[in-house]
Amino acid sequence: MESRRFIGKLKHMKTKIAFTIICFAFIVTAIGQEKYATKTGQIKFEASVPSFEEVKAKNNDVSAVLDAATGKFAALALIKGFRFKVALMEEHFNENYVESSKYPRATFKGSIQDFNLANISEKTEYVISGTFNMHGTDKTMDVPATISVDGDALLLTAKFVMQPEDFNIKIPSIVSNKIAEDVDVSVEFRLQKQ
Amino acid sequence: MKKQRLIVIIVVFLAIVGFFGYNYIYQDHRDIKTETSTLEITAPYLLERFKTNNAEELLNKTITVTGKISDVEENGITLNGSVYASFDNLTSEDKVGDKIKIKIKGRCIGYDELFDIVKIDQSTVVK
Repeated sequence: MESRRFIGKLKHMKTKIAFTIICFAFIVTAIGQEKYATKTGQIKFEASVPSFEEVKAKNNDVSAVLDAATGKFAALALIKGFRFKVALMEEHFNENYVESSKYPRATFKGSIQDFNLANISEKTEYVISGTFNMHGTDKTMDVPATISVDGDALLLTAKFVMQPEDFNIKIPSIVSNKIAEDVDVSVEFRLQKQ
Repeated sequence: MKKQRLIVIIVVFLAIVGFFGYNYIYQDHRDIKTETSTLEITAPYLLERFKTNNAEELLNKTITVTGKISDVEENGITLNGSVYASFDNLTSEDKVGDKIKIKIKGRCIGYDELFDIVKIDQSTVVK
């Protein structure tokens, strides 16, 4: 009698657990659907000085992920993926300045302030606060960005200025007059709904 | 007479220095397509190498990756969900369907922890 009741209880518990697991799985997939991501984001930077050879590079293989439910945003660029017009400049950039073998990645992790997917219509201005990590150095920054809806994707663009010295990147004095102290960075991510 | 010869020597010297200097500064980019690859490896194993020991020695090297196509995008092909190969120009002929075994040569640029994937660029399909 007693044992049968116990088995009954156990069965009941089993269904409960199964139900919880199923519910949980649904919630997880629902959250998962709020993700927007790209593997082919673009980052360009320029540190040219007038009348000298242009210092300009482009990376077309930048990864970025946006969690639309929370506004959390992360981006990752592989430093070796930056390509210059002048091959020697690319070599010096990798070997002498950013030391890309030692620090192969530049990352940004942060969250978009007051982000609400439902409020994005045409072009909406946001501020993304977060931390850049490059050349083994962290720097917190507020980056102004524009987000717009493009079909089932989100288009995120941003323009900002960075200083190499903030990331402990030393420019030798011989070339320092040919490289601008302020590096203009422009970012374009077409984040596809996952 | 002596002065003239000196001037000619200086001009020739400057021309030679200028020629080699210019060629050094404006040397050509690497042509990954024609470079011989230093390693042939399967896509999952390449990812494993980066995850277990950082595989720093493979960075910037021309390698050949084999695997099954798991995703085709506008300018890139993903192999076994573990290697993303970016192409400078991906022809429609190269955009063969899913699950097909393929061999891709490109320059290894590193491990992307956001997608848990190894990226190579300037890729070409090896036939």
